[in-house]
Amino acid sequence: MDFFVKNLWGEDIPSLAGLRDKGKISFAEQGFPTIKTEAWKYSYFQPEDLGILQADVSEHICGEDCHCHEKQDLPFDAYRLKICNGNVSGHHFDFPEGILVKSLAEAIYDGDVKNYLNKSFDMNLFPFAALNTAYLEQGLFVCVERGFCADKPIYLNYHNHAEKNIFCNIRNIFVVESDANIVLIEDFNSEKDGQYFCNTVNEIYIGRNAHFRHYKKQNESAKAHHIALNCVNVKQNGTYTSFCHQNECIFARNETYVKLLEEGAEAKVDAVYKLQNNGHSDITTNIRHLAEHTVSNQLVKGVLSGNSKGVFQGQIHIAPDAQKTQGYQLHQALLLSDDAVVDCKPELEIFADDVKCSHGATSGDLDKNQLFYMQSRGIPYDEAKQILIDAYLNEVYSHIADDEIRQWIQKK
Amino acid sequence: MSEQLLKITDLCAGVAEKQILKNLSLTVNEGEVHAIMGPNGAGKSTLSNVLTGKFGYEITGGTIEFKGKNLLELKPEERAGEGIFLCMQYPVEISGVSVNNFLKHAVNAVRKYRGEKELDAAEFLKLLKSEAKKLNIAPEMLKRELNVGFSGGEKKRLETLQMSLLQPSLAILDEADSGLDIDALKMVAEGVNSLRNQHNSLLIITHHINLLDYINPDFVHIYADGRIIKSGGKELAEIVEKNGYGEFLQAVE
Repeated sequence: MDFFVKNLWGEDIPSLAGLRDKGKISFAEQGFPTIKTEAWKYSYFQPEDLGILQADVSEHICGEDCHCHEKQDLPFDAYRLKICNGNVSGHHFDFPEGILVKSLAEAIYDGDVKNYLNKSFDMNLFPFAALNTAYLEQGLFVCVERGFCADKPIYLNYHNHAEKNIFCNIRNIFVVESDANIVLIEDFNSEKDGQYFCNTVNEIYIGRNAHFRHYKKQNESAKAHHIALNCVNVKQNGTYTSFCHQNECIFARNETYVKLLEEGAEAKVDAVYKLQNNGHSDITTNIRHLAEHTVSNQLVKGVLSGNSKGVFQGQIHIAPDAQKTQGYQLHQALLLSDDAVVDCKPELEIFADDVKCSHGATSGDLDKNQLFYMQSRGIPYDEAKQILIDAYLNEVYSHIADDEIRQWIQKK
Repeated sequence: MSEQLLKITDLCAGVAEKQILKNLSLTVNEGEVHAIMGPNGAGKSTLSNVLTGKFGYEITGGTIEFKGKNLLELKPEERAGEGIFLCMQYPVEISGVSVNNFLKHAVNAVRKYRGEKELDAAEFLKLLKSEAKKLNIAPEMLKRELNVGFSGGEKKRLETLQMSLLQPSLAILDEADSGLDIDALKMVAEGVNSLRNQHNSLLIITHHINLLDYINPDFVHIYADGRIIKSGGKELAEIVEKNGYGEFLQAVE
């Protein structure tokens, strides 16, 4: 790819310009993944073909009077943040002391992120994160200070209402210091049926005894291309609990890369994807148990019909020193049409000898006998089908501890 | 004279290449109790499955009329709406769906079909409580997942509760006594008997006379080789109890 010339903020900051250059070099070496790229073999796509890579987000900054600034109704109270058409929008800094929020640019300028920016992954393993680094500019820095327990969640609204194509690269950094506690909700939505490519990277640092609950709902234009990488570092007795909900769009990949760095660190990574037409959903996880007594649980369920395709790649890595760890993983896909496809690749890499680990994968149609039983009690076929689908997904939804958030996620 | 409810004429049906029902005919009028008795493995359940419209069966001949309608054209849920209820030999387990929720869907679907007003949550709960109480069903059972981990007796109790909620005009009991101890059997029979009136009818399919000690049939039919080979009163059941099916089968040969 030829990098288009774009006047990015902060070219005069040498460390930042240098980092972007490293991103460019790394991406140029890797290129867009193809069917031959192991980590992407089920989900390769060529955004160059879309002709949107030249679409500069800075042309789509909305004015103060734009309707998108009206407060959206939410069934829960939250601290609100917005990224609109790929640009960090305004400043909603009604945050309490204890939560520091800045735009990424500001945080870079102030020197807040030097221990965090690009420290949670190796660019050479993540081509889209390298691309994200090359265009590093937009995003947020959120730091929950030591011991602070937020009274309500942070709601981050990624809203897209641009008339034209956009290509956005967003980098967020979340730091949850020791003993702190926060809930983050990411809501990706679009107003118009636009074609766009959103490439986000979240770097998440969870301190000792800190707890981070991360909910993500994706309800975007059918033509949206969405790639997200969540790099999570968890320290002693810290927990990372995530739930990702993907609805139909042409291409979506949510990748979660967790390092359980110290004893007692824990990760729960759950996801649901629902596809009807020709959507593509990819849930990729890599949980790295790097210390003793670490725990991970993953439950991912998909419902597919039409010509849609689901992908699950789940890796559990247990380092030689990570004794007494537990890692569990289950992926289930419900295939409701003959043309829907699911590809599943569980991988366990276990180098310690005293661990409990398991993985499972199933795919299939609804149980005909269950459907008939319900019909024989008068319940129409479509209603019976929906009851069974809801019951199947409910096992994952029930993991969401916050009732209002759960209901909001379930509702389309 | 009571009205004709179900009329099966020369019914032929089977699975894949195998014909199971061979020109079976049977008429059930309103308010009557019919028992179909036959040896194990003779395909009696095929009849109940064909009546309720279960997948996998091919109808190769004959007709079934129910309340004057061509039953074979109706979907399973429409048949339930018309008033057919099958109390299953092996009720299906459905995890993730509570008994409560399932019953509410079923009751309202059937009410809707019958042109009755659907019940709201409070109305439904009231109905459910009173019907469950009549059958000695503990409220805790209604919160559990449908049939999951239920004992044989609990499953049949729940089938009976469904029957009482859905108010069928023709209830079919398919081997309702299998796997039940005497107390559970009595409970099912009491439940069924309490639902009987001059309009609704019962079709009991069994290989065993047990249940007929508690539910008194008006007619007993001996089933063999895909059809009914002899019809009569309860005395036929007594012959079966004494001598087995042998003499009926010989007579056919």
